[in-house]
Amino acid sequence: MAAATSVHKRGVHAALRYGVPWRALLIHAASIVFILWIILPFAWVVLTSLMTEAESMSVPPHWIPDYITFDNYLSFINPALLVGKQRLAGGGAAIGAARAMLNSSIVALSVAILNMIIGSLVGYAFARLNFRGSTTLLLVYLATRMVPALAIMVSLYLVFQTLGLLDTLLALILSYLTFTVPYSVWIMASYFRSIPRDLEDAARVDRCNWINMMLRVFLPVASPGLVACAMFAFMSSWGEFLYALLFTSTMNSKTMPIIIASFVTDVDTSPVLMNAGGVLAVIPPLVLALIFQRLIVSGITAGAVKG
Amino acid sequence: MTTSLAQTKLKTHDSRLTTFQLSESAFAYLLNLPAILTVLLLVAYPIVDAFWLSLHRYNLRRPEAYAFVGLQNYVDVVTSGEFFPSLSVTLLFTFWSTFGVLLLALGMALVANEHIPQRPILRALILLPWAMSGVVTALMWKWIFNPNAGALNGLLYSLGIISHYRSWLLSPDTSYLAIISANVWNTLPFSALVLLAGLQAIPSELYDAAKVDRASLWARFRHVTLPWLSQPILIVLIVQALGGIRIFDIIYLLTGGGPGYQTTTLGFAAYITSFVSTDIGRGNAWAYTVALLTLVIAIFYMKLLYGRGDIRS
Repeated sequence: MAAATSVHKRGVHAALRYGVPWRALLIHAASIVFILWIILPFAWVVLTSLMTEAESMSVPPHWIPDYITFDNYLSFINPALLVGKQRLAGGGAAIGAARAMLNSSIVALSVAILNMIIGSLVGYAFARLNFRGSTTLLLVYLATRMVPALAIMVSLYLVFQTLGLLDTLLALILSYLTFTVPYSVWIMASYFRSIPRDLEDAARVDRCNWINMMLRVFLPVASPGLVACAMFAFMSSWGEFLYALLFTSTMNSKTMPIIIASFVTDVDTSPVLMNAGGVLAVIPPLVLALIFQRLIVSGITAGAVKG
Repeated sequence: MTTSLAQTKLKTHDSRLTTFQLSESAFAYLLNLPAILTVLLLVAYPIVDAFWLSLHRYNLRRPEAYAFVGLQNYVDVVTSGEFFPSLSVTLLFTFWSTFGVLLLALGMALVANEHIPQRPILRALILLPWAMSGVVTALMWKWIFNPNAGALNGLLYSLGIISHYRSWLLSPDTSYLAIISANVWNTLPFSALVLLAGLQAIPSELYDAAKVDRASLWARFRHVTLPWLSQPILIVLIVQALGGIRIFDIIYLLTGGGPGYQTTTLGFAAYITSFVSTDIGRGNAWAYTVALLTLVIAIFYMKLLYGRGDIRS
């Protein structure tokens, strides 16, 4: 009886497999749904950023702009284009956008470079040297990664206030080290462990000193790890919001997320400028992500799996 | 030719280094010094200082009233009537974001693991929300939820699903859904990539064997895929939970904690108390509740990594 049912079941499955390809249909349908779920919201932002202000406010919304303009982007470089705009609230943020892009780049690049240096030193120590307390130290780094920024924001604010660093790029760079360094340590330690020791043994035969060995032999081989580390540091610094909100007050140090935030929270903001700002802010990390796609995917999985 | 030149140069360097020999341990700590300093000065000191401040009455507007009050700030926070609503907003937000991300990420990983022509497109596109910061994600959803010219109202109205335009971010139930969907959209790629890597680690022989046994699609998923994915799924759950508890930018930009206190999380309350009410003492008590919740999950996470032998010296 039971056998009969299972034979019957098998027959049905075979029929399904050779009849309508349900599985393939399901997979294709799901893949299209996922692609649309990712692309549509962002496409709407990009399309709006190419509209005139009047068109962006039309009800019902125009999905495809009747008239494509790049004025919204150009007005970030040339604020004179903003003069005719009614919405001065958005205009104010737009005037700061070019400077904010520069500030964001300086901060993110500095954090990336510092992470490459700090990360490779620590990574080498964990991958190659035996030392007392190394497990504890690694645990300390891992624990540091989990400290929420919310829990240290007030104290960091007071520290920077005492040091007179509020509203400087240095305050941002230092505070971004708090969450990038522990991550870089883990990426570098696990990447350096995967490099065969023969390499340095060969270098030692040549009687290289340590710094030379690192610069000429080890780091060139480890460059994918270095790039991944720099990439993650750059991206997380580029988009950071909480510390930037607290520690910056003028265009002296305001970064792109702060400009975006003032677009978003202003009641009177211009939607076209706001969306153009959003696209501008996403271009650098997006371009990097696409160029280094492979590295990022392996970095995410290594970082996640290793902590 | 060039190598021999380099070697002679290096030899001179080397002789100098040998006179300055460090023990292996000392050298290791020397290499760790910049990272240790970063951790001590910028994380360890502030976290201790934050706790110390949370034990004091300290308002930036009345610095002269500074005094040690013990656990009074914590008592005030818990009895304020805002605490339990914020705690429940935080936990529910974390739960639904994690749940949504896990389901969608699992689906996305399974699809991206199939040999279909659109696979490279999907894999590249997964990086778009990942590269997008929380701030830009919030901008995007704010514009989609815009009550007048937003895409959601326009779309649902033209499909006849709603009869009038709605203010999604101002109504209590939809504002909640809005922050969750924005967060799910933003954090999905990370989880999808982790699960995808997990899927790719499954030996294909297992599936072949299951096919020989004529196991159904569900049976193959249930008995081959899921057991192999248990570790990556656990990692997704933990990382999502850690992120959910400390959510800030999406709340700040999309709802500002409103309407009322409907979307005020513990972290947002910490920010408002510290920097809007300038009550540093009580603000730090709020922040420490976030830290304590994090600690619970972190201990669990460390145990998991320990158990798998990922932590080794």
